[in-house]
Amino acid sequence: MNSCKKEAKYKALIITGQNTSHDWTVSTPVLKKILESTCLFSIETATTPAKGADMSSFAPDFSKFDLVVLDYDGDAWPEPTKSAFVEFVKNGGGVVVYHAANNPFPDWKEYNEITGLGGWGNRDEKSGPYIYYKNDSLIRDDSPGPGGSHGPQHEYLIKTRDAEHPVMKGLPASWMHTKDELYQQLRGPAKNMDILATAYADTAYKGTGRDEPVLFTVTYGKGRIFQTVLGHVGKNTNEYPAIECAGFIVTLQRGAEWAASGQVTQEVPAGFPNSVSTVEWPEFRPLSLSELMDKIDGYKIGRSRKYISDLKARIRKDSGSDEKLPEYEKAMLKLLKSRSCENDAKKVLIAELSWMGSDASIPVLEALKSDNDLKDAANAALERLKK
Amino acid sequence: MSDKTNRRQFLRSAATATLGTVILPNIIPSSALGMNGAIPPGDRIVMGAIGTGSQANWNMQEFMELNEVQYVALCDVDANHLKSTQQTVNKFYKNNDCRIYEDYRELLEKEKLDAVCIAVPDHWHSLTYIAAAEKKVNIYGEKPLARSIREGQAIVKAVQKNGITWQTGSWQRSVEKFHHAAELVYNGRIGKVKYTEVGLPDAHAGIGTPPVKEVPSGLNWDFWLGSAPKVPYRGVCHWDWRWILDYSGGQLTDWAGHHIDIAHWGLGLDRTGPVEVEGTGVYPREGIYDVPVEYDFLCKYAGGIEIRVANAARLKYGMGVTWHGETGWIHVDRNHLFASDPKILDEKMGTGDTLLYKSDNHWKNFIDCIRSGEETITPVDVAHRSISVGLLGEIAMTTNRKIQWDPEKEEIIGDEKASRLLMRPMREPWTLPVI
Repeated sequence: MNSCKKEAKYKALIITGQNTSHDWTVSTPVLKKILESTCLFSIETATTPAKGADMSSFAPDFSKFDLVVLDYDGDAWPEPTKSAFVEFVKNGGGVVVYHAANNPFPDWKEYNEITGLGGWGNRDEKSGPYIYYKNDSLIRDDSPGPGGSHGPQHEYLIKTRDAEHPVMKGLPASWMHTKDELYQQLRGPAKNMDILATAYADTAYKGTGRDEPVLFTVTYGKGRIFQTVLGHVGKNTNEYPAIECAGFIVTLQRGAEWAASGQVTQEVPAGFPNSVSTVEWPEFRPLSLSELMDKIDGYKIGRSRKYISDLKARIRKDSGSDEKLPEYEKAMLKLLKSRSCENDAKKVLIAELSWMGSDASIPVLEALKSDNDLKDAANAALERLKK
Repeated sequence: MSDKTNRRQFLRSAATATLGTVILPNIIPSSALGMNGAIPPGDRIVMGAIGTGSQANWNMQEFMELNEVQYVALCDVDANHLKSTQQTVNKFYKNNDCRIYEDYRELLEKEKLDAVCIAVPDHWHSLTYIAAAEKKVNIYGEKPLARSIREGQAIVKAVQKNGITWQTGSWQRSVEKFHHAAELVYNGRIGKVKYTEVGLPDAHAGIGTPPVKEVPSGLNWDFWLGSAPKVPYRGVCHWDWRWILDYSGGQLTDWAGHHIDIAHWGLGLDRTGPVEVEGTGVYPREGIYDVPVEYDFLCKYAGGIEIRVANAARLKYGMGVTWHGETGWIHVDRNHLFASDPKILDEKMGTGDTLLYKSDNHWKNFIDCIRSGEETITPVDVAHRSISVGLLGEIAMTTNRKIQWDPEKEEIIGDEKASRLLMRPMREPWTLPVI
């Protein structure tokens, strides 16, 4: 990342190359982008041979890395590679298990101990218990039955279960996730596991009626593992709402830092979704302030007001900063003077400036009094600012 | 008997004197005689209504059924509400005498009212309450008292200066369950209370941004908007104005005058306020409903008392008030009253205890106090203190800052930006009068 101020602290390896139901050619570069934008990771990718091909050349040197990110659901790895991976984790290597990476290898004991929970591949009660929350209690359920299913994709609410965990600290008690598969009925050894967050699997979407784990951690030897079941990237589509979800992206970044280091130093951005509204980042990162203001420039009431809401959320987040508020004010005054910005947007900006603005706003607002449509808003703001 | 008559006559003649013109006396026609029970028309409290929506009609039913009130005039900017409520009044009195107005100023100018029930959206409270007070008409005014703290202060001044009787629509104080709970707490039956939780309702669902529509005939949209910003009509008006910040603070301000009011009552904090308020709100990203859908803020009072106000889903006991004392706790809401030990609830008041104001009918209490000149169970300054907590919470959440409040001076300390939110600028030609 050319905008990073210092060298990346951790080396991460993404394992990819085959995936039964997902387009890894889309997801892997996105995972790379997401992790690089933290400025904490330098990323390499290990791409396996294609399905059915000879896998014997697949032998990454795990020892070079602090973190392995699994974006793979395909043919078995060679035995030496499997052992090397297990040793890597035992000796303190971090792992991120992303979405369908919990699908392969039902018979590889150590893999399932590392991932904690998995689905499909004929997993059943022999794979381990179901883990879920019901009525706010954590349940280990040994009942017989298949491991792994999901209903049609939909938006759903994610609920924090371990608010004190470094990954979850500062995140809201619940937030809306964008349209995605909701993995349920996962089963596995589930040892040394900490459920970070769950989502209620609504029967309306062929759900189990239980709160299914969506983010969780496992420890294995000295290794830390973070699993996110979120982030479906389908084949034969060019829409990827799940991986564009700000909640998916931020929790993945935080989970990765935790897996690599045991702590999370990243701040929670202002754009993290809340319990009523999803937030999508088509560039897999928040907009810069000037990008945000450009979006607001195009706002007209009746169209989405999300960018205006996002600006207000940023102002709230930085409201205690004597440096940041004038920055926002400057950007807002620039838009107020712009011809392309619609009055509908200007009215909201003026209302916001009425409390957080400074003397700098006064001449701009005075000038707006001559606009018949804006004069009421301008007068209202001036009444507050001139007190 | 004669005292009550004299007070009404005093109020009428005082009004006449200020106007200096001949005002036709309020004639209660003979058709009303004998229709409403024992109280003869001359002793009936002559009432009007500003606002004729659902809450106004509920209040009106309560008043009319007292049989010592005579509704004579109504006012509303929606002619449809106005006419249907007029029919209700005329049907009740079996006559055609109820007069109707669009403009509350005309109602107050032309009618000789003893009292008025005002049930209008929050952004209209200050101007209508002050206008009625200045005409020395006794007021039953809906909660929340005002949309901003400065408006609330002006209302209190106007009501107190004009010496009128005021009742707030905070009727929970006249309900036995709430009275009992507050009295137990006030009189130390759970020990000293350091921490209280107030649960108010969870969010109302959003509706996106509906298209601009033609204003329905009969609705004076510009008048309805009043001091609020001018916006095109999108079908959101009656009742659902609650979810739009230009008119209301949402569930938080809608219910502050209920459960925050009760919390204060039990704690003996009726006439003061917090010294510090801090918290967060969750706001919808889309749609015209922009009030916080979740809210959670902590108020600290002098002496170390804390009140947490939050939407019900965040609290153990949900909606209502839960006082946590040194020796127990009590929870009360509209459907429940329970305590850490049920025996606490059986305790009786004795010598040395302070009995809290008892009223068995909130509307009758208003009428009785008009006659006696006594203060009602929910006076105007108490209403102001209840909503001030909600409004300070709103400021804390909007600015995401820790608000330091001086409850005596009613000023925010050391925060010029947050202080700006204490007042709500009004759209021309409406202005908040200086009392």
